Amino acid sequence: MEFLLSGQLLVAALIIGSIYGLVALGLNLIYGTMRLLNIAHGDLVMIGAYTGYWLFTLAAISPVLAMLAAGALAGLTGAALYFGLFRRQLAGSQPIERIEANSLLIFFGISIVIQNLTALAFTASPRTYQALDTLVRIGEVSIAQSRLVALAVCLGLSAAIVLFLRFSALGLSIRALIQHRTASRIVGIDVDRVQAFTFVLGFALAGLAGTLIGVTEQISPFMGFPFTIVAFVVIVLGGLGNLAGGIAAGMVLGLIETYGVALTSANLRSVLIYGVFILVLVLRPEGLLQKRRLT
Amino acid sequence: MKKFVGALAASALAAAAWAAPVQAAEVRIGYSIAKTGLFAPAAPSQINAYNLWAEQVNARGGLDLGGKEKRKIELIQYDDQSNPGNAVKIYEKLITQDKVDLLLSPWGTPHHFAIASVLERHKFPMIGSTASSVQLRNMKPGNIWFTTAAVADKLATAMVGLLQSAGVKSVAILTNQLPFGQENKKFLMPALKAAGIEVLVDADYPPNIKDMTAILVKVKAAKPDGVIGLAYPGDSILYINKAREVGIAAKFQYLLVGPAIGFFRGMFKGAADGIVTLGHWSPHGDDARSKAFYAAYKKKFKQEPDYLDSVEAWVSVEILEQAVAKAGLDKDKLRQAISTGTFDTIIGKVRFDGVQNAVTPTGFLQIQKGELHVVWPKDRQTAPLAPKTGWK
Amino acid sequence: MRFATPRETVPLLLVAAIAAILPLLGSDYYLGVGFALFGWIALAQSWTIVSGLAGYISLGHVVFAGIGGYVLVLTWGAVPVWAGAVLGALAAGLFALLVGLPVLRVRGPYFVILTFGLAEFAKYVVINIENALGRFGRLILGGPPVETLYWAMAAAALAGTLAVIVTRRVRLGAGLAAVREDELAAETIGVPTVRFKLLAFALSAVLPGFVGALFVLRTGYFEPAQAFDPVISFTIVTMAIIGGSEDARGPVFGALFLVVLSELLWSNFPQVYMIILGALLIGFVLFAPNGVAGLLDRRRPSGGARAAA
Repeated sequence: MEFLLSGQLLVAALIIGSIYGLVALGLNLIYGTMRLLNIAHGDLVMIGAYTGYWLFTLAAISPVLAMLAAGALAGLTGAALYFGLFRRQLAGSQPIERIEANSLLIFFGISIVIQNLTALAFTASPRTYQALDTLVRIGEVSIAQSRLVALAVCLGLSAAIVLFLRFSALGLSIRALIQHRTASRIVGIDVDRVQAFTFVLGFALAGLAGTLIGVTEQISPFMGFPFTIVAFVVIVLGGLGNLAGGIAAGMVLGLIETYGVALTSANLRSVLIYGVFILVLVLRPEGLLQKRRLT
Repeated sequence: MKKFVGALAASALAAAAWAAPVQAAEVRIGYSIAKTGLFAPAAPSQINAYNLWAEQVNARGGLDLGGKEKRKIELIQYDDQSNPGNAVKIYEKLITQDKVDLLLSPWGTPHHFAIASVLERHKFPMIGSTASSVQLRNMKPGNIWFTTAAVADKLATAMVGLLQSAGVKSVAILTNQLPFGQENKKFLMPALKAAGIEVLVDADYPPNIKDMTAILVKVKAAKPDGVIGLAYPGDSILYINKAREVGIAAKFQYLLVGPAIGFFRGMFKGAADGIVTLGHWSPHGDDARSKAFYAAYKKKFKQEPDYLDSVEAWVSVEILEQAVAKAGLDKDKLRQAISTGTFDTIIGKVRFDGVQNAVTPTGFLQIQKGELHVVWPKDRQTAPLAPKTGWK
Repeated sequence: MRFATPRETVPLLLVAAIAAILPLLGSDYYLGVGFALFGWIALAQSWTIVSGLAGYISLGHVVFAGIGGYVLVLTWGAVPVWAGAVLGALAAGLFALLVGLPVLRVRGPYFVILTFGLAEFAKYVVINIENALGRFGRLILGGPPVETLYWAMAAAALAGTLAVIVTRRVRLGAGLAAVREDELAAETIGVPTVRFKLLAFALSAVLPGFVGALFVLRTGYFEPAQAFDPVISFTIVTMAIIGGSEDARGPVFGALFLVVLSELLWSNFPQVYMIILGALLIGFVLFAPNGVAGLLDRRRPSGGARAAA
């Protein structure tokens, strides 16, 4: 059992956890402000991963730069979807439950379309590439540069977003929207502008994280869905709309997964993740709903 | 109204059926393969062999049908997206809708296994290639055969022989959840125990595993002499990346399926040196058939054949061609010809005992300076086994 | 007893007519297509009971088919084939009863993602059980001939269609409609919501269990990742939403449309097929939430009295 004390394992858990935290942050922002259940969130991770892959393979551009392009591309996708589809839905007079249910089905359709368009364009075959693969030694721990970059970027970016939401004017508007949708409109917040910004930001974060994930994992058109599930687990665990809580929950899930697998078997990883998912939803059926009661 | 809709549906389906071409002068030979999805990296090895064969046969004037006539080959290929369920539907479609004359095999054990009952239901003989299964062998099907010698029970004996000759006293076993890996493990564990080789780590993992760090940290702490990775292509790649990162220093490191594929060596260059894998063929001998196959493949595809999958696929079509030359396209005669005949192939004479190849010995290959060499059995060696020395 | 309305006779006669016509075409291929069509009709009708009538949208209905198929292979050789299929159906219903109580407390979109998670969870559990048993896929050699399976599935499709029609006519249907409109209000006026929801959930699980068993008999092969494939759940939802999930017509229209589309596309253009599926789902949710059946009613409002609502 002494392998459990290995620093290697701890670092691996922290890396996974920080990635989960950043991916979930995007989902949390969009759900929190607009009550849209973006079940296609993981597919933006996939788009980010492909962006990194192609930029590196065709133009030898480092993933560190490519992740900015991936963020921009995912953000643009977000803008197109917001202005093309969801703005009208949100502006209508439908009850919030209806918007939630519809958004889930619409995003599900979007997810299927994105995945299969990608499969059509790039085939469904998994791809990998070797970038930033120099090994870095820190004490006993040896780690590929790419994963160290992932850790630094995910933690840094998550912290930056939390600070931004706490201290900037736009950030305060977003938090106001998360806490009280109707009242925000009354106190004069430009809801449409804040929504558009949040939507694009949420998408961009997922795309950016995708590039970091794609350096170390196999890339395929269908790689995204597990990240959607994980992101849902994280935001339910961390508390809806509680962005800092979500980042902590990401870390917790990374630890549960890594040490859970180390103690049992890698075969049980999916059972573990889905088990936590079901438990959280069943034991706290009000968990996600709590905030909504305020509106 | 309802009659109208019913007729409409029926005619739409009929239109779908008409889309398939009617009986042509060619011999229609169908198969499905994992062109996309989890197993896609392995499929080109097999597709290339099929295409090369069809091209050569057609250049010779066509496929000899029972000595009576020669007809050109038309290959019909579908993508099963690495999904065995799709393979079942496709082979059903090939038989009932496309009405093909002959079938070639898909890639991989799960797919061979899945379509076995379709073959039985339609009594349609098909020679398998990149697969083997003790479980299927025990069910005694009558319409599928395995060209490979690498059936799990025989493999276990050979592996223990190789480990003992390399002086390996302890191992870690990492096993993909897919059937071929699991069957290998099932027979390997008792064989290791009988030989007094200690199993220090025994870890299973799912086919779509993303991170092996947790497993490899365990392996590193246990310091085994050997690592036996009962892996498929995708996880073989993952293993090399992570074992290098974690710093696995075992002198014997084995990966079941993957390293024999051409791109694998190109991808890792020196880091893959010393990796042992499954395979019993090499072009380095003096067999004329093998040399001709190797040269033709390299000329057409500008790369080496996969020493495992291209070879098995090629052997399967060599056998099919010879059986059809004897029996024609009649399914009953063909089944009889395959199960009783002896065939000349690039791995030597092949004869079947039930579903399995009764002749060819099981062997292993090792990557040495970027080339694959047969290191086992000893009498077929093209180079002696060398210990793996670091990750360069 | 009220007379049957067109929205009840149309789907019944449609299913019966197709079942009678396809064997006349004299090819195993058409029997295979018919088998798939009836399977989807049975699945989509079952789904309609809990998701259409009660508004609890299940995105994990494949779990019941998977359980049915698994029970069939587990009992293979031990009991007669038909008994294996019936046991599969019962096991699926039992599973629905067991998980229904906690699961049905979760509402709206959370119920949707929960059912999805539940099906995936069951899939991975079965994968691990099979792995522990040392079974890596199971083969069934010598199952019933395709004609037998065809008629069994046609019967399942008719049973599913009847189940929706009958449910809508009895008190359960009115109760479920009340739950869908406003669960809290339904409870206040004395509808036994918990019991009704549970009953609907179990009803909607039994037939899929049977269908799943027949699917396994048809392919002769069981493997958890195939038997619990989430694409099956997704296809059911899309069929019901395209056809409409207000009454028994929708699932028949939806299944008919998608099966023909799939026959044209799946083998050569699998991704194109999925893209069309996704686009249809988005389009119908946005512009025609009551599906083809709803569009028909809008054009010709004499479609019969609406039960319950």
